[in-house]
Amino acid sequence: MDSLTLVLLATGAPLICFLICILALRPHPGAARVVALGGMGLSLFGSVTLLLQGPVEPLRFLWFSSGEIQLQFGFLLDGLSLLFAVAVALITFCVMLYSIGYMAGDPGTTRYFAMLSFFAWAMLSFVYAVDLLQVFIFWELVGLASFFLIGFWYEKPEANAAAKKAFLMTRVGDVGLLIGLLLILPLSNSFDLPHLLDPQAGLVRLALPATLTLITLLIFVGIVGKSAQFPLHTWLPDAMEGPTPVSALLHSATMVAAGVFLMARLHPLFMASEQTRTVVLCVATFTAILASTMAMVERDIKKVLAYSSISQLGFMLIGLGAGSLFAGVFHLVTHAVFKALLFLCSGVYIHHLATNDMEEIGRRGGRQLRLTTAALVIGSAALAGVPPLAGFFSKEEIFAQLGHGGLGPFAIGAFAAAFLTAYYTGRMVFLVVAPAQIEETSHDHHGDPQPWVMLAPIVLLALGALTLGFFGSSIAATLGVQLVHHSLVSMLPAIGVVALGGALAWFDFGRKSAPRRGFITRLAALETLFIRQWYVDDFYRTIVVRINTALAKTMHFIETRGLDAGFDRLGFNTLGLGALATRLQSGWVQIYTGGAVVLLGLVVAYFGLR
Amino acid sequence: MLEQFVVYLFAALVVTGGLMAALTRQILYAIIGMGLSLLGLSGIFLYLGSPFVAAMQLLIYIGGITVAIVFAMMLSLSMSLRPPQSQPQKFALAIVGAGIFFAAMATVVHGTQFPLLQEQAPEAAWAVSQLGHLLLNAYNLVFETLSLVLLLAIIGAILIARKEKAVQ
Amino acid sequence: MTLHGFILLGLALFSLGLVAVLSRRNLIAVLIGVELMMNAASLNFMAFNRYVVKDPAIGQVFVLIIIGLAAAEVAIFLSIILRLYRLRRDIDVEHLTGLKG
Repeated sequence: MDSLTLVLLATGAPLICFLICILALRPHPGAARVVALGGMGLSLFGSVTLLLQGPVEPLRFLWFSSGEIQLQFGFLLDGLSLLFAVAVALITFCVMLYSIGYMAGDPGTTRYFAMLSFFAWAMLSFVYAVDLLQVFIFWELVGLASFFLIGFWYEKPEANAAAKKAFLMTRVGDVGLLIGLLLILPLSNSFDLPHLLDPQAGLVRLALPATLTLITLLIFVGIVGKSAQFPLHTWLPDAMEGPTPVSALLHSATMVAAGVFLMARLHPLFMASEQTRTVVLCVATFTAILASTMAMVERDIKKVLAYSSISQLGFMLIGLGAGSLFAGVFHLVTHAVFKALLFLCSGVYIHHLATNDMEEIGRRGGRQLRLTTAALVIGSAALAGVPPLAGFFSKEEIFAQLGHGGLGPFAIGAFAAAFLTAYYTGRMVFLVVAPAQIEETSHDHHGDPQPWVMLAPIVLLALGALTLGFFGSSIAATLGVQLVHHSLVSMLPAIGVVALGGALAWFDFGRKSAPRRGFITRLAALETLFIRQWYVDDFYRTIVVRINTALAKTMHFIETRGLDAGFDRLGFNTLGLGALATRLQSGWVQIYTGGAVVLLGLVVAYFGLR
Repeated sequence: MLEQFVVYLFAALVVTGGLMAALTRQILYAIIGMGLSLLGLSGIFLYLGSPFVAAMQLLIYIGGITVAIVFAMMLSLSMSLRPPQSQPQKFALAIVGAGIFFAAMATVVHGTQFPLLQEQAPEAAWAVSQLGHLLLNAYNLVFETLSLVLLLAIIGAILIARKEKAVQ
Repeated sequence: MTLHGFILLGLALFSLGLVAVLSRRNLIAVLIGVELMMNAASLNFMAFNRYVVKDPAIGQVFVLIIIGLAAAEVAIFLSIILRLYRLRRDIDVEHLTGLKG
């Protein structure tokens, strides 16, 4: 099949399923599941076939032109988009399969699968987009899907608040993105990506260095919002109010990765600006450390994974900012796999044991869900960067790139973040696997009574986490990048850091007589800082909300006491004037006469004296 | 010389009568004041060269109108017996209004140069016969209309003032 | 006296009549004021007749007509007063406010 048909299949099948579900299948949740899954299957088939066929020329269709400006939509089928699209489609398929089990019995099932299909359409269209305007449109649509899915259980006020917060915070970033995009338009009269990225005739030639820095910085603002970097990161932990499969899909693997993908797509532009690269490295490194510290004191398993996502996104941006497209994208792909795996495992615990708290999970016998626990361990090892799992190889690439250009402080920061990653990951595993005591409950947890629809995706993703590290060269080839082999010696610092973190976690939580309190509790002030999420949310609440409220109050005052009251007063005073004028009609003829004669006299005097 | 004195005397009579008419509280005094003023006026008319008009003034105004007013006063005695007091504001306002009018007009008049006659008209032009001639020839229409107006006034007065019929 | 003097005398008489019209409460006093104003007008005519006009008969005719009209007006005025008195036993100007509003 030709590329156009395949790409239309890949993006269009989920759209059609969304429409069918929303329009016709409200009373038939069972049919909705099948339709959505089927559509996703077709989409997966399409994207895999495209990947196997390899990169081709972009497909463009003119949307409209205005003067010299040409806006188009279409599909850019190069290595980057083919690769990431397969990752998105695969994980979406797994999550949909898993959701059949997880969301069984929920009254809003049709709406759920419809919104997942909608998300799949928007995300895949975003990945395959050839024109920056198209990118922006689908970027926003993905945010909209996220809003719907976070607030899926809309009776819960926390879910609604979280959905609003997510949407508004990413919107703040989107303003920067939009302005950045608009600055491009006068320079090149089109948003066509291959044209903009062309090294000879693209934006690097068309724009002044200062302008290019400005544009990339503004686009980076959008990325900060979407990929939850400091300071626009506080929406992601709150987004855990949504169902766990949604967290697995959107808020770890795909949607938040859209920001990283955009930077990967515009990598030549970012590389051309020294200042932007520095800013990116600073923000990403700081975020990586920040999020890791917050993860290490968190008790809710989903929130730990959310902070972990923020931290790992920071890692990806470090890789891209340091100059290696391959490092960032490789980590993007591996992270998608193992983070989705971890979320799905946590979903099994939540579904089965009805609690999010890690200590509670441990206490109620989480370790007795053997398959899930095994998958949890595999995923955690991958996250921590234990060789030879996937995460190790991708993190190694990032460290290698940091070693190149004399990016000393950033390398130290990255190592610190890796140490903390290993520590909190180990903490998570040990709290679940080696609790202080397991309470005896009535029903038997031995064996896994979990439905196969929930376990199959977990198994599949665990296999991916185990093996994906070895596909590095194929991935690099798809991207068109030459892979550099690293010696074992250069890998030692990374291994050492991971080992250190893991050992400390074992010391604090894993061994038989462990105190089960983190070492951080000895530094109470720091611990409070981490628990309170570095007071960022409190800052926003006090400053932003207060300023907004004050502004709103001022506007209200102007409206009711100023404008409204002004008009009211106008009306009342006219009435008053009328009442006053009524007194002239007193009925006293003498007054009438007097007035007439005096006036007459004055008029005559006026004319007489002229 | 004597002439001047007489004129000023009559002018003073006019003003005094006017003041009495405007300012006294008792209505009868006001009527008497009016009569005095009209008397003075007739004297001035005489000085201004028309004995006929002076005579008519005396006859009609003082003899007819003033008496009629006294009649009406008698017939509406209640108010005359207990004459009410005007509020000072009203009075002040009236004085102010009239004062403004007077001042305005006086300023205009003061600044105007009237084209005064150089020589007096002949004696014959002042005769009463000339007056009668004009009334019945050149201003005949006015004369007849005036008599019509008087007729209508009488009829109207009768209509307004007659007693109501019992059943209507 | 000069023409200006007579005119001023007429003006003074008119103003006095105006004061009476504007400030008195008795309807008859108002009538008196009106009469004074009309007489001031005739004085004005007579003065001009003597000092400015070529044919002196015209001014006198005018004054005669004024006198006649004044008589007619007084007749009506008085009959109204009588009617009013019969209806209300009261001819206070300040109570005649039917035109109010």
